[in-house]
Amino acid sequence: MIAWWQIAILTLYAGYQILDELQIYSAMSSPVFAGLVTGLVMGDMKAGLMIGASVQLMVLGVGTFGGASKIDANSGTILATAFSVSSGMKPATAVAAIAVPVASIMIQTDILARFANTFFAHRIDKMVDEYNYKGIERYFLAGALPWALSRMIPVGLALAFGGGFVTNVAHVLNTSWKWLGDGLTTAGAVLPAVGFAILLHYLPVKKHFAYLFLGFTFTMLFTTLFGSVQTLGTAMTEVTKKFTANFNGLSMLAMAFIAFAFAAIAYQQSTALHDSTNGGNGENGAAAKKNTNEEGEITDDEL
Amino acid sequence: MMNSKKPAYKLTDKDFRQINRRSLFGFQLGWNYERMQASGYLYTILPQLRKIYGDGTPELKKMMKTHTQFFNTSNFFNTIITGIDLSVEEQEGIAGEETVVGLKTGLMGSFASIGDSIFAALIPAIFGAIAANMAQEGNPVGVFIWIAAQVAIMVFRWKQLKIAYKEGVSLVTTMSHRLAALTNAATIMGVFMVGALVATMINVKFAFAPKIGNVPLDFQKYSDMIIPKLLPALIVGAIYWLLGRKHMTSTRAIFIVLFVSIALSALGVIAKG
Repeated sequence: MIAWWQIAILTLYAGYQILDELQIYSAMSSPVFAGLVTGLVMGDMKAGLMIGASVQLMVLGVGTFGGASKIDANSGTILATAFSVSSGMKPATAVAAIAVPVASIMIQTDILARFANTFFAHRIDKMVDEYNYKGIERYFLAGALPWALSRMIPVGLALAFGGGFVTNVAHVLNTSWKWLGDGLTTAGAVLPAVGFAILLHYLPVKKHFAYLFLGFTFTMLFTTLFGSVQTLGTAMTEVTKKFTANFNGLSMLAMAFIAFAFAAIAYQQSTALHDSTNGGNGENGAAAKKNTNEEGEITDDEL
Repeated sequence: MMNSKKPAYKLTDKDFRQINRRSLFGFQLGWNYERMQASGYLYTILPQLRKIYGDGTPELKKMMKTHTQFFNTSNFFNTIITGIDLSVEEQEGIAGEETVVGLKTGLMGSFASIGDSIFAALIPAIFGAIAANMAQEGNPVGVFIWIAAQVAIMVFRWKQLKIAYKEGVSLVTTMSHRLAALTNAATIMGVFMVGALVATMINVKFAFAPKIGNVPLDFQKYSDMIIPKLLPALIVGAIYWLLGRKHMTSTRAIFIVLFVSIALSALGVIAKG
């Protein structure tokens, strides 16, 4: 069972996260943070982090481009974590069984919110005609309501009434339909691949394919090595008590530093090249002024 | 036209703070299908417009109407356009309307694409991957590293308004090369990280081990001998191809992957690693 105060906090968070994503974008609107919050509220931070991590990877390349709706990975994470903890469904199963369907259904409520705000836009037009400055601001800020409610209503209702249903599903997946439960678990492990493939479509892979190979090969070698050393270490501690060394897994942050170094080299090279052909920044600025005529219009818009 | 009346108001630091506050905490609240961020643009600069043109004047109404027209750009770069816009409006007043409209429509597209690729795709991808990597082991520290990075970006968003206001239109030309170089460097980092992620974050292995005679043929062992992490690389390659098909959306791809994985798992070909 999910207690009323848990439902209340999670519903409030569901409303907050979309406003955060639209405005300050603090990363508190990310699936991995949603997993952390929901895990803490439900009393199992680890399950929350695991679900949040899988969903985060799945949507890695899915951004909001030009105002298109994207799948609501955060609401999916909230519900998957809450039900996984309350019904005893395995986290990896909950990703495929709950997070994915919820996230894709909730595209519809996102579209609804964007439509609802058109009404406020017309009210603002009227207020402009009437010089009603307070009215403009009021109807603008009212836009927060459709946004927040589009997340709060479905998440709140699902948390309040979905528990029993999900518990039954979890039970079936663990017993008579185990093949499906295992399949969903495997799917949960494969789904991050979708995020990576989307990201590759979005990035200029053809131009930078060499870095894709570098990143894959470095990490593949290191992660195999680190993994083998960990296995060895665990085996050694069983053999002798004198062996106390502790081995960690491969740090992704370390790989990010290597990636950053490559990026920094490329940046320095391209700016150095540009400066040498243009004779430095001073002339660059002068050239920029030439492109602007007296009225301040940009005649040479190279951006 | 009742132009040539140059406004006398000069923007102060207090104005910049107000615009930044409104932009950071309110810019996209009014987002809608019809005119997208238009009402948000008006909202962020409304107090300043009132100061420049004066309450109740026909100029103010004209400019308020101008600023409720369609607008959509990256919400990480919108105040650059606002800054350039206000520097024009402050000097030219209503006579600068055409310039302002040209500026806004000319700049919003390019800033949208750079902003989306850096701030909506690459940074969340890189920091999200680091956070997810740590989270998989039950460690929430990565999440806070990401939040710290976003706070640094908020500082950057706060600073850019005044720079854009001071430099005016020339900023765009001086900035464009550096931005292009930065985007290029950031995409290199992105591509490298995707390679790293493929090698670490897809935990599936071959479960397929048919018996040939009496010797079981352990597929995973042989694929590891060719190259470790072969299966994850093949999966990403296959989905990459799938996404390039006609009528394919990311949501459809997710469901196809979901069903194919369940089928392959049920047939005993792959399993969670």
